[in-house]
Amino acid sequence: MRYFFLFISLFSSLYSLDKSYEEGKKIYERTCASCHGINGIPNPEIKFIVSPRNLSKSILTEEQNYHIIKDGSHFWGSSADIMPAFKTLYNDYQMRSIAFYIKEAFNPNVDTKVKELYAISDSIPKEKQEKMLTHGKKIYMRNCSWCHGATGEGDGEATRHPELSIFPYNLKKALLTNEQMFLYAKYGGQFWGTHKDDMPSWSRKYDDYTLKSVIRYIDETFKQ
Amino acid sequence: MTKNFQMLFLLTTIIGTLNAADHLVDQKGKTFIPHTLIVKVGDTITFRNSDPFAHNAYTDDEVNEFDIGMQAAGTDTTITIKGKGEGHFNVECAIHPNMLVEVTVK
Repeated sequence: MRYFFLFISLFSSLYSLDKSYEEGKKIYERTCASCHGINGIPNPEIKFIVSPRNLSKSILTEEQNYHIIKDGSHFWGSSADIMPAFKTLYNDYQMRSIAFYIKEAFNPNVDTKVKELYAISDSIPKEKQEKMLTHGKKIYMRNCSWCHGATGEGDGEATRHPELSIFPYNLKKALLTNEQMFLYAKYGGQFWGTHKDDMPSWSRKYDDYTLKSVIRYIDETFKQ
Repeated sequence: MTKNFQMLFLLTTIIGTLNAADHLVDQKGKTFIPHTLIVKVGDTITFRNSDPFAHNAYTDDEVNEFDIGMQAAGTDTTITIKGKGEGHFNVECAIHPNMLVEVTVK
């Protein structure tokens, strides 16, 4: 009898996931694919000022995608307002289904990938940990503040030069975890599916200790 | 005697200025061109931004520390090499991490 209930429970969970996947697929193909592409790879003919994210490379988790679908990217720190909020168009189940479909169809191992890449980065010895905040601040002010601004709000001096046409994130609102932020700094945004190298890879210039110091400074100073 | 020294100093300065060269470093395709530069004290380096977007050039070198700030597209900025003798320092762009020029002072 116990096994019967276990079987029913497992069957209904799988059925529910399958239903969510199909619902997400249906909406994705109807709404999202026109920008992000049917396979999660953006249509190159789309000419927005900021091209849609390549979802097959994206580092974002299912939960983060759900929040961006719900509120739009601007709400979560993007300077550009290209990815709109869908909360007035779809209900919560539908938005969660889209996020589930994106993860399952285009990037099923994203969580493992983040953990694995972060795990191979250098660990910081105890004697260096105390200096991380001051070191991170120095590097942030030297390099990052040009775009992300001295207070992390994405309003650095470079944003006042229209020829750059960059859209740095407001770090106070960004959804990324510290591990994801480190991987963005190390590999650059394009590696994770953003359309151009606005956020460049800093790994040639700085070691893991320096990049982790910057992330710690951001985390302790700007994140809300 | 003092007057002679003053004259000698003035003459040295004038000769130094006449000997000083200007080196052009172009910023094109997110690259400093050339990558390496040999200069002497008193020379100037002109950073030209030929890219259609903004750049920067800075060094934390103790003797020649400078930061030209945000350099708009199509503009030139000139700095003068300071110091008393030989040295070596790197100039980088704070916005684009792969940009580097190695400067040797001889």
